[in-house]
Amino acid sequence: MTVRTIELREPVMARNNEIAETVRARLAAAGVPALNFVSSPGSGKTLLLERTLAALGDELRMAVVTGDVQTQNDADRLARHTTRLVQAVVTGGACHLDAKQVDTALEAIDLAATDLLFVENVGNLVCPASWDLGEDAKVVLFSVTEGEDKPLKYPKVFRQARYAVLTKTDLLPYVPFNVEQALGFAREVNPDLQFFRTSALTGEGLDEWFNFLRQLARRPASV
Amino acid sequence: MHEMSVAMEVCRLAEERLSPAELPQLITVGLDVGDDSGLEPDNLLFCLEALLAAPPFRNARPDLTRCPGDVLRVTYLELDDDRPDD
Repeated sequence: MTVRTIELREPVMARNNEIAETVRARLAAAGVPALNFVSSPGSGKTLLLERTLAALGDELRMAVVTGDVQTQNDADRLARHTTRLVQAVVTGGACHLDAKQVDTALEAIDLAATDLLFVENVGNLVCPASWDLGEDAKVVLFSVTEGEDKPLKYPKVFRQARYAVLTKTDLLPYVPFNVEQALGFAREVNPDLQFFRTSALTGEGLDEWFNFLRQLARRPASV
Repeated sequence: MHEMSVAMEVCRLAEERLSPAELPQLITVGLDVGDDSGLEPDNLLFCLEALLAAPPFRNARPDLTRCPGDVLRVTYLELDDDRPDD
């Protein structure tokens, strides 16, 4: 037996990260800020995007790449609120989007005619944290039905996110959820998080969210 | 949850580094897996064992080393040049 060892120091995610940097450069060259939406399934990513497309569709040219394990249901829902192309990525079992999928999805999007890109990740607070998609910032959503300690249970994704959206605030009178405690836990994990509190059902907090997006679209260089 | 994706990427790296003739000679794949890498080591081991048992590999063994931080890298590939064909 002649054993030979090849020493490597090869980061496993190197290839994904290279593609992510290509995506980032492409978006920067086109001046398109990109937000990567992450949350557990059912937190309200799609509904918030539906409301956003419906409300800002006349002012901003928004493109969406939406990922799901199966079905194009979310893409169909979003497409009802925009005349622009909504790119669906069916991951076929994978629990996250990767940079290559976003890179491919961008092929069909006219970035020169786009002000803002939303990437709706697969509903999952664990795996998407390991895949850089070339976004400018992650937006982590969590709903008032999920428990205040979500940020403590999934610290990696909350650490990576720049924005946090607390969703379904219309349910606050009916569920035992302590908003201040939840925000405190989130700040414990990531003191720089910028918060939004929204109800896509009643519209509460959406104006602030929309204004944030308007500003974001105007200053693409620094999300 | 995404351990299979990571395991497939590890195999892709090995295939990129080795010639087709070397792939069946691969006996060990060394990996550093950080405690904050978001991976469950036993699950990753299970996925790697399954993938490294199938062609173009021939029962190569994953060797995982736990370490602090979010590091995730392939550290070495060990080959047996005299491994008989069977």
